[in-house]
Amino acid sequence: MTASNLHKWAALPDPSPAELGRAAEGDAQAFKLIVERYQGMVYSVAHNVLGNHTDAEDAAQEALLRCYRKLSQFRSEATFSTWLFRLALTTAIDYRRRERRQPEPVDTEELAVEAAPQLGEGIDAAMIVAALRDLPEDYRVPTVLRDVYGLPYQEIAEATGRPLGTVKVMVHRGRASLRLKLRAGGAGPGQGPAGARPRSDA
Amino acid sequence: MDCSYFRERINLYIDGELGYLEVAELQQHLSFCPDCAAELAQVGEVRGALAAWGRLELATPPGFAERVLAAVELEPAPGSPRPFGQVLDDTLEYLDETLGSIPLPGGRTIPVKNVIGWGLATAAVIIGFERRHERRSRELKPL
Repeated sequence: MTASNLHKWAALPDPSPAELGRAAEGDAQAFKLIVERYQGMVYSVAHNVLGNHTDAEDAAQEALLRCYRKLSQFRSEATFSTWLFRLALTTAIDYRRRERRQPEPVDTEELAVEAAPQLGEGIDAAMIVAALRDLPEDYRVPTVLRDVYGLPYQEIAEATGRPLGTVKVMVHRGRASLRLKLRAGGAGPGQGPAGARPRSDA
Repeated sequence: MDCSYFRERINLYIDGELGYLEVAELQQHLSFCPDCAAELAQVGEVRGALAAWGRLELATPPGFAERVLAAVELEPAPGSPRPFGQVLDDTLEYLDETLGSIPLPGGRTIPVKNVIGWGLATAAVIIGFERRHERRSRELKPL
């Protein structure tokens, strides 16, 4: 994984209103462009929330299907990428509520993956993936929503159906655990990106 | 020195949840406690890295887009009648978005649509019981 082949989804240009209109009317080619453009973002959100590839793939597929069904309801008050991001997040959280599964054992073949871009001093993407994967689920979801995606605590409490105070405690514990792993000599580079493969097309 | 009091406040400080006096108290402590200052710096670095991670994306598994598009092909065309289950799902979701939630003590929330649903179910049960009771008392009434 290198900096150049991980894609910054936040910088993706939104589809034009004409493209969105065609996709909403059932034009398969127009919707294909949306899938190709946003699949990585939707999948990453699902993976960060769910912590394993199998569930992330199912949830990401469900999110894109929901997108297809609801495309006609999209109003341009928000940008399309923001709307789809929220949809992906909600779908992943719903999926987690429905299907509580244990994290997958680490695939050793996948552990041998690529180096990762630096995201901070001495912290690379592979370390983040490994550290997030190893967090207990109760800590991971609120911590991801707060510190990876910047959601307000109140919104996290509503999305996860947990009391506000509990959510704050979970985030604080999640941060403490991540700090120990990433800053106090826990996970090392390349020690466990569970399939953090780079985009081959970027 | 026992820093546990200040350690607990570091997260609140990061989230902007401390008052003016509490911030001043913490900052004063940080100015002479290298351990707490290091912890604050480390949490800040980790949060920065997490935020940067959130703007990147993982590669999807091979064939993912094709599987999504194959599933989309099985969907009814937009505008055509949709299966009952899907209409129900969409309606419940729409109600959730429109009606919102009621805050409960302890920071919990409860969707308004659930409250309405429980209210209707309870009313139906009560009406059912009353009707049954009325029928029974009519049957038992001596002629």
